[in-house]
Amino acid sequence: MPSLRERQTNFAAALLDVDGNADGRIAIYRNTVYANYRNALGATYRVVRQLVGVPFFHAAVDAYVQANPSAGGDLNVYGGSFGDYLATYPHAANLPYLPDVARLEWAIDEAGRAADLHGTPEALLAALGTIPAERITAQRFTLDPTCRFVASAYPVLRIWQVHQPGFEGDIAVQFGAATDRLLVRREAGAVVIERLAPGDLALLRALAGGDDLAAALDAAMTADPTFDLGTALRTSIANRTLAELRQ
Amino acid sequence: MNRSLPHSAGIGLRAPHVGHVLAQHPAVPWFEVHSENYFADGGPALAALDRVRADYPLSLHGVGLSLGSTDPLDLGHLARLRRLADRVLPARVSEHLCWSSVNGRHFNDLLPLPYTQEALDHVCARVAQVQDFLGREILVENVSSYLTFPEATIPEHEFVVAVATRTGCGLLVDVNNIYVNARNHGIDADAWLAAIPPAMVAEIHLAGFDASGPCLIDTHGAPVAPDVWALYGRALRRFGRVPTLIEWDTDIPEFAVLQREAATAQSYLEAGLAVAA
Repeated sequence: MPSLRERQTNFAAALLDVDGNADGRIAIYRNTVYANYRNALGATYRVVRQLVGVPFFHAAVDAYVQANPSAGGDLNVYGGSFGDYLATYPHAANLPYLPDVARLEWAIDEAGRAADLHGTPEALLAALGTIPAERITAQRFTLDPTCRFVASAYPVLRIWQVHQPGFEGDIAVQFGAATDRLLVRREAGAVVIERLAPGDLALLRALAGGDDLAAALDAAMTADPTFDLGTALRTSIANRTLAELRQ
Repeated sequence: MNRSLPHSAGIGLRAPHVGHVLAQHPAVPWFEVHSENYFADGGPALAALDRVRADYPLSLHGVGLSLGSTDPLDLGHLARLRRLADRVLPARVSEHLCWSSVNGRHFNDLLPLPYTQEALDHVCARVAQVQDFLGREILVENVSSYLTFPEATIPEHEFVVAVATRTGCGLLVDVNNIYVNARNHGIDADAWLAAIPPAMVAEIHLAGFDASGPCLIDTHGAPVAPDVWALYGRALRRFGRVPTLIEWDTDIPEFAVLQREAATAQSYLEAGLAVAA
């Protein structure tokens, strides 16, 4: 008689045996398991699914699940590396923008369920006002926890927009135009997506990574020699992207 | 806020209907949600649940704890469940008598346990661990299954009763799952019901199955079947007036369809009351 652990291990192996040599009743479970992942990822990656069609999408999800198994009981947080996987998926090689569209959709998903922001521009400005001028560049910031960054060599925001339900107008996408540097965050309960200038993206990414203001400014100036720190800080404090000073 | 479930027919609240419920405030005696759908750190879905909770009794129903797995309990998962329970103060917290993961790999599905003495001892220890962690009694639900195991030695109803007896947990009796298993495995649904001490039963679930294949599949994607309504009526005669939930999870219809299903359940609940009076 198998132990419970042996039974579960054998059952799992039969679920993964996609060639279906196992008991026919196991196939019912196998179908349900894969259908669950197809539905869960389909809810997150709606534009990817539209771009490639449902049969292609399901095949890609099945392959992803086999290569990147779920490790937790909350399906809502499974699938974050699907964009990275698509970048290696041979059948998607002729759709080079597809991984970044997926990364944008995951950023939107994460921004929608990240922690609520505390702190106000007024409080941050007041805190900054207490810092001696010579120590300002040594400050580090906490960003709004909903902030995510997506940088792409493709016009992924435009691709995403023309695939939204209810989109009207010209659906043409101009490739070879400007690259996308996107900030995804939540504002008043809704996810918003903004294009950033190269210096702003470099500054905010550096600050998000824990750099102090001096190092973040270096990164921004490298990305854009005309970068203006004062304007960038005013904008990012006013729209709450920069939330608080780190202690 | 009401902290107990009314002895009436509630509805499993899913994302497509939350906006409707908040806008229209329909007359529904209570709602249940899937716990994991509100494990987020913040955001509009959680804020909406707070608003639902302000106006309706609420129950949390877990689908991902993997209670019967031989892997260690996921303490991060449990911590998120406790955080959610601390936030919304649910009338009930329930999970399934099943497993979903092994060797670190999750299948995110309700997989069947072999009903053996080893599995019983294991599940009882896990239920006790969960109850200790949460600081409250939980309910455990019988699941549908599509196969049985040759090593199983304990009838499902005895297994379920033993878990409740040994851990002090309550039972969430899914009448549809009893029916599905009765059809799939040739067991006697009424004998199943007759084996359950009524005092253990804190909640009942009803849902629809798919009968298009070689065995019944618990899809939660159809109306409650006539045979299941009949079995539900017999369950109420045995258990009394138990809070009952309509669940619908795939091909989710408009909210009015769920309200009609709940109204049917409510008529059974009230018929039982009339008989009792």
